[in-house]
Amino acid sequence: MDDENRIGWTTRLAAWFGYCFLVLPSIVVIPISFGDSTELTFPPKNISLFLYKKFFMDPSWTDPAVQSLIVASFTTAFALALGTTAAYGLVRGNFPGKTIVTVAFLSPMVIPSIVIALALYLYFSALQIQGSTLGLVLGHTIISTPFVVVSAMSGLRNIDPTYERAATVMGAGRAYIFYHVTLPLLRPAIIGGGLFAFLISFDEVVLSWFVSSARTMTLPVKMYSSIRWEISPVLAAVSSLLTALSIVVCLVVAFVQKKE
Amino acid sequence: MIRVPRWGANPAIFLLPLTLFLAAVLLLPILQVIVQSFETENGGPFAGYAKAFTSPLLLNVLANTIEIGLTSTVVILLIGYPIAYHLSRLSPRKRTLCMVFVLLPFWTSILVKSYAFAVILGHDGIINFLLRLVASQDASIKLLYNRAGAIIGLTHFLLPFMILPILSNLLLQPPELRKAAFVMGAGRMEIFWRITFPLSLSGVVSGLIICLVLSLGMFVIPALLGGRKDMMFANMIDFYVRETLNWNMAAVLSIILLVISSMLIAALLRVRGTGGLVSGGEL
Repeated sequence: MDDENRIGWTTRLAAWFGYCFLVLPSIVVIPISFGDSTELTFPPKNISLFLYKKFFMDPSWTDPAVQSLIVASFTTAFALALGTTAAYGLVRGNFPGKTIVTVAFLSPMVIPSIVIALALYLYFSALQIQGSTLGLVLGHTIISTPFVVVSAMSGLRNIDPTYERAATVMGAGRAYIFYHVTLPLLRPAIIGGGLFAFLISFDEVVLSWFVSSARTMTLPVKMYSSIRWEISPVLAAVSSLLTALSIVVCLVVAFVQKKE
Repeated sequence: MIRVPRWGANPAIFLLPLTLFLAAVLLLPILQVIVQSFETENGGPFAGYAKAFTSPLLLNVLANTIEIGLTSTVVILLIGYPIAYHLSRLSPRKRTLCMVFVLLPFWTSILVKSYAFAVILGHDGIINFLLRLVASQDASIKLLYNRAGAIIGLTHFLLPFMILPILSNLLLQPPELRKAAFVMGAGRMEIFWRITFPLSLSGVVSGLIICLVLSLGMFVIPALLGGRKDMMFANMIDFYVRETLNWNMAAVLSIILLVISSMLIAALLRVRGTGGLVSGGEL
């Protein structure tokens, strides 16, 4: 390595301390989840799937988990539909005020989620859909769509516009081109954006805490209440499952993007 | 005749769905919050805001929020800069590997992280377990349900948001600058402090602003890892909605938070240009 770019040992030490600090929490829950007592012990005394069984047999855990899956699936569908089309308009369009529109579309990323949560709570109460699954899907779509927009915009910039021009010259209309030429070329960006949208919705807690009811509780809301009132070891099993989900999503996205 | 679509003329059909959606489900609700913030019981429309700036409880919460936010941000910078620097000097293959250390917590649920810290920092948790191995059996250090817990949790959560902008800045610095300085006789430390660090300041400022904005709106971490005295702004909003059903005060606090965040984001856009939102650490 060039001398001026060599990393000193203090930097190396500091960096590795940092890496350990970063991954420690994600990893620590995994061994605990294979314990078999109903108390919090680390390291666990025996290895078993007791806690996982407890999770899967308990409707007060599985119902919110299923609800989270439903909400996340609908959210992903809407986020992809709204976000991909918007990204296409932003990248291929050329109009005054494009920057403002882009900032507006990406704004949910920078508005604190507590602000959005309160706003939706008041709004849905007025509309009498507070506490409904519809409300949850709408709220999650708001915060997930900007990520799809960013992913799609970056994907669109990497597509050769010649394909679209060729289709135009052959007489295809704009909508046809978008659906039959652009979208297939965008597949990695769509898969990536979609998976991230799914994960964001699945893990979203603040919005769900405000907008859900006892009947429509999502998994993060159940976890939040659970951590507040009684640190049950079942949480370790739930946490490990969620971490596994995050890892799978990241791997799939990395794999899909590497292929292209 | 060859018909060529005039892209510049009408992308509206593609922009319309999201525009309508956001107008209906984001813009209107926020406008409603603004209106709600002026709907007070008594004392005129500004009573809520007056209370926000004079009530000792709320001023205390504001002070907490700023204190916790600033302390965490400084700690994050101290831990995050070496990580970003280390990543920037690795070969691309090793960097991808080490990035996993940064991206894994980024994509882990905040509840999983909070639960993990509750286990690590608790009275019978890992840290105290190790402490008792080296010190006496009764030794214990209180790192949970207090300011320390909140700061540790917040620092961990926000680290990737500091690392990514600094890393992207460091990667963009032309290596020829350092080579030239080296050839002219500068040592590594001198190159860092006189060339690398000053050039990286825009990345540092971006990271600081992003971390500050995010910490102002934090809800879960102070609730789960902090104590009663560590309530932050967002917890106060939750309190007004859930405990006292005071929608007016909740709205007031929301608008104050929104205004402060917007000012900070505007400052961030100044520093980075609009590319900052897209490449400044989100994906």
